Amino acid sequence: MRLLLPILLAISLPAQTLQRAEQLWKAHDYAAANQAFKAAVAASPKDPELRVRWGRLFLERYNRKDAGDLFNEALTIKPGYAPALLGLALVANETFEGKSLAMAQKALEADPKLVEAREFMARLKLEDSDPKGAAAEADAALQIAPNAENALAVRAAVELLGDRSPQPWLDKMAAKDAHNGRGFETVAHFLVMNRRYDEGIEYYQKAVAADAHLDSAYSNLGINLMRMGREAEARKALETAFNHGWKNDATVNSLRLMDSYSKFVTFKTDNTILRLQQKEADVLHPYFEAEMKRAMAAYDKKYQMHLGRPVQVEVYPDHEDFAVRTLGMPGLGALGVTFGDVVAMDSPSGRKPGEFHWASTLWHEMSHVYVLTATKSRVPRWFTEGVAVHEETAAAPDWGDRLTPDVIQAIKTKKLLPIAEIDRGFIHPSYPSQVIVSYFQAGQICDYISEKWGEHKLFDLIHAFAQPTTTDAVIQKQLGLAPVDFDKQFLAWLDVHTKKTVDNYANWREQIKPMHEAAKAKNQDEVIRIGLKIRDLYPDFVETGNVYVMLADAYTAKGNTNQALDELDRYAKQGGRDPETVKRLAKMLVAANRTKDAAIALERLNYIAPQDADLHKQLGTLLLGLNNAPGAVREFTALVATKPLDQAGAHYDLARAFHLAKQDAKAREEVELSLEAAPSFKPAQKLLLQLSTGASD
Amino acid sequence: MNRALMRLFALMSVAFAVHANTFYLTIAGLGGEPDYEQRFALLASETEKTLKTHAPDASIETFKGPDATRANIRAALGRIAAAAKPQDAVVILLIGHGTFEGDYKFNLPGPDLSAQELAELLNKIPATRQLVVNTTSASGGGNEALRKANRILISATKTGSEKNATVFPRFWVEALGDPSADTDKNGSVSAMEAFRFAERKTKSFYEEQKRLSTEHAVIEDSQKGGAAGQLAMNFPVLRLNAEKAAADPAKRALQAKRDQVETQIDQLKYQKSLLAPESYRIQLSKLLLELARVQEELDK
Repeated sequence: MRLLLPILLAISLPAQTLQRAEQLWKAHDYAAANQAFKAAVAASPKDPELRVRWGRLFLERYNRKDAGDLFNEALTIKPGYAPALLGLALVANETFEGKSLAMAQKALEADPKLVEAREFMARLKLEDSDPKGAAAEADAALQIAPNAENALAVRAAVELLGDRSPQPWLDKMAAKDAHNGRGFETVAHFLVMNRRYDEGIEYYQKAVAADAHLDSAYSNLGINLMRMGREAEARKALETAFNHGWKNDATVNSLRLMDSYSKFVTFKTDNTILRLQQKEADVLHPYFEAEMKRAMAAYDKKYQMHLGRPVQVEVYPDHEDFAVRTLGMPGLGALGVTFGDVVAMDSPSGRKPGEFHWASTLWHEMSHVYVLTATKSRVPRWFTEGVAVHEETAAAPDWGDRLTPDVIQAIKTKKLLPIAEIDRGFIHPSYPSQVIVSYFQAGQICDYISEKWGEHKLFDLIHAFAQPTTTDAVIQKQLGLAPVDFDKQFLAWLDVHTKKTVDNYANWREQIKPMHEAAKAKNQDEVIRIGLKIRDLYPDFVETGNVYVMLADAYTAKGNTNQALDELDRYAKQGGRDPETVKRLAKMLVAANRTKDAAIALERLNYIAPQDADLHKQLGTLLLGLNNAPGAVREFTALVATKPLDQAGAHYDLARAFHLAKQDAKAREEVELSLEAAPSFKPAQKLLLQLSTGASD
Repeated sequence: MNRALMRLFALMSVAFAVHANTFYLTIAGLGGEPDYEQRFALLASETEKTLKTHAPDASIETFKGPDATRANIRAALGRIAAAAKPQDAVVILLIGHGTFEGDYKFNLPGPDLSAQELAELLNKIPATRQLVVNTTSASGGGNEALRKANRILISATKTGSEKNATVFPRFWVEALGDPSADTDKNGSVSAMEAFRFAERKTKSFYEEQKRLSTEHAVIEDSQKGGAAGQLAMNFPVLRLNAEKAAADPAKRALQAKRDQVETQIDQLKYQKSLLAPESYRIQLSKLLLELARVQEELDK
């Protein structure tokens, strides 16, 4: 017995330590649980289960790297170990990687009765907008384990998303454990994912009502309330999570962001609410508010609907604030996001001048507000994104996104998804640029539908998607085509539009290199020779190092101003956005006595770099010369709002604009502000004398 | 800006106008690589062109490329020391790379020039009003050695540890050629106006490029007992259209009247925070109109 005891202890120790680690984990004592797992693994290094459970702890505590390492170690110990494969699938899913599905399938192949893997498959399928597949996977899980919590929740979510009663499934969840809120939390997750935020919030509230210690649900409740602009409730929920010890990044970031709201100001009209950071509010306010109203007037008319409530737009100069506002976490690649009637987006000051067309993003997001309202958020992701991309170009041809090398490559290698599966490209991309490619494809699909069936057909589709349905059914019914036939026709149409660039892209790439070298060597004739040969092979390329600007430089060097101007004009019309290049074009147009065209060129920059004081000065001066008083007042008001060093000059310019607009009282106010800064400023003195003898408004 | 003192300074300038001279010395140091070499030389050439346009009577010397040697600089400063009088002004502009390892050095072809050596050479110049604009990397490291009463120091960096190449010189040169840098519209760009212009543009450059700023420009006004920045505000780097004292007694009376109204405006602006806004506005409006009328008479 003396000899046996140590042996028995050695066998039972890892089990006891594992049990202890699980208990500590359940009690939210994560640091102690981690230590217990560490001890268990040290005591039993060949046990794959210990590593998988330890990895799951790391995964729950947002440490994907260590979690992944532990799952891989478990697989080294026991190749094909299903729980470890599932662990890797979960890690991949955290970043919405397409390989999570394949990993989960591998786990099921290794152990077809692994209920959690089956439940996970059900979740993935529902995330990919495949409710039938999700229900089938959930049912398979329930056959093995009739009370499988996540499977019941997925079934409830499937019913809700199909606008059917989820009650039977909710009853089963309650029968199993009335105080378990995780099922409600899962349902809420899917509602939010399908942009049904209000309902998602209701289910998060049910989750915390069932389990007052379900802190992840409090956190998500807070984040979604914040998304919907319900800030007081959001703060309360987030603080509850935080005070319970749920201090994950999303909770902390969201609370921090809400603290920063004191630095924002809100402007309200009858149908708009605009929140801007104080320091840039004066400059951006007129442009954003005017554009919101212009977009709403256009969409009211186009979609034949009136929202009947204000749309709120929040503009964040710090991109990471916008990301936190959206996800609770930094690192988001998007430019704007819509939550019901609330749009959050980057400020133009948040990115390098020329990188971001804020008006295009605003129109894109505002389109979502209308489409989500019209469809009660039942619309599939591809369609609302497609319409939004379509609307960008409909607003102005040069606004929309250009054909990028990623998209060209996807078309060439036939990576575009069938219409029935395109949502997958947004949610679970299988290659790095697939989200961008999917946006492009969805936009092109809407362009194609508009071109072939008429713009009204897009509205028919919107109305069709207001009911619970599928993309297949809508395409079949509204366009009279089987989805597979639609795909064939669409790809043929796309081929006509993109063939020249797709076929010649490699050639263009090969030739632009020597063109750059010739430009560097100032060999202008060679630049022109190559440039004219390749310019139209890929006309959409307007980024740094584009053919248009190199050609313009070469023509300028040779003294051929007219041809240089033509190239820069082409650049602008193709959607070129570099502010300095557009200003250069404007100067050349002025020199060519084309002042009106110069003003049009600079007007475009207001949608790209509205904080640029020099832009407002130049444009205001041109508009003043063109006797465009409202335009000059707008531009010089913006110039003053940028708080330039030359206060006297800025106020004087604005005074001149008001004088032209026959608003002499305001003109006098401005000229006095100019002279207050510089009392001996002669042009302002002359205007003051003129105003003091003239009539006032 | 202190308009009353500015007026006083302007009167002094008029008094000095007949005899006072400004000595400009611009040096583009060693680039190290062709791109910098070309950039520094271009900035020096632009400066020279602007100075020759707006200050044709001034003494202007520029060194760049292989000519920007320590020996040539020493010789040029020696010439200035021999020619300058106490009422004259000196403007030194350094463009290029600098290093700081305990003491600052301006990088030149051949031996470098230390801040200490430059200070010693400047101390020999009798001109009491001196402006040193050091736009190089690590330039802040030289300020301690160069600091002296009545000498304004502008450096592109706050300390010697800001070692990256600077963009400040580009905007300093721009300030000299841009009328909007003359924010008080008095016809001259002061050291403070040019500094504020260049400093703001430098800050915007880093903000727009979404880059962490690696330079923080500094202006020092070491006039003992004076208000900070006062000397720099009253030091014209460049006179764009300087006014001369009128010979006609009637015009002289009008100039005096104008100066008197300007002083009243300055005094009113000082009292702004003590006055009710409406009262301030009415008084200001009246004075501005009066000033405009006097100026109109003067311009006839």
